[in-house]
Amino acid sequence: MANPDLQESPVTELSEQLEKPWLVIVHNDPVNLMSYVSMVFRRIFGWTRERAEKHMMEVHTKGRSVVWSGGREQAELYVQQLHGHLLLATLEKS
Amino acid sequence: MIFEISTSGNPLFSKIHPVLADILRAVAEDPWERYPDGSARLLPPPGEDEELCRDWEDHVQPELRHGFDSDRALVFSDLEAMKPGRGKNAAWSLEIPFKHVDAWLITLNALRLALVSENCFSEDELAHKTSPDLTTERGLALMSVNFYAFVQECLIRAMEVGDAAEDGTPGTE
Repeated sequence: MANPDLQESPVTELSEQLEKPWLVIVHNDPVNLMSYVSMVFRRIFGWTRERAEKHMMEVHTKGRSVVWSGGREQAELYVQQLHGHLLLATLEKS
Repeated sequence: MIFEISTSGNPLFSKIHPVLADILRAVAEDPWERYPDGSARLLPPPGEDEELCRDWEDHVQPELRHGFDSDRALVFSDLEAMKPGRGKNAAWSLEIPFKHVDAWLITLNALRLALVSENCFSEDELAHKTSPDLTTERGLALMSVNFYAFVQECLIRAMEVGDAAEDGTPGTE
């Protein structure tokens, strides 16, 4: 039998499912070394070298890259970590 | 100047010319004091939402600033331990504990960003398309930006070698 204390209300669950995810976007800064950006991506997101370099090149050539999408709290944490490594990062609703 | 990995696995810079040793010592200076205008780049806003930006300024930026100050304190302690060679104008050596490499990378990056922002260097200048005029403060600042970038690249390389050693995989070229 389900524990009533652990059940979320159906309204909360549905609203969370319908909520648009937040995007974490890294923006280009010509000062940051490409090797540094790639290293930071691997460090924060646990990516392989290939994936980190793909997003790094996207930042470098297109000016920005969406590096994560999901809930607001995690998005804020990632932006804080990216700022902690001095990358230009923002969060916005998708 | 020579860069290598010491027998302890630490990044080691040796045969550092006294002039470069002085430029290295400047890494530990507080960019907020030294480059007040340029330091605005170090704590950017998280987006365009006004409420988010206000909360960020109140709660997140002080934490980030504290982190940067702590990293700079570690760098300062390593620079204090820089070893002089013998004789007049002798070269210096600097061994950076591997666990401090992160702090060095962030501190070097902060200083480079502040210097570039303060001096409004163009992308052409940063891409070495023009040679810095070393008779001017601006030229010396650009030289420092490039020198710090070289040190960063060496440390990133050291980090990759260190990470590979931990994983038991060969380091990448």
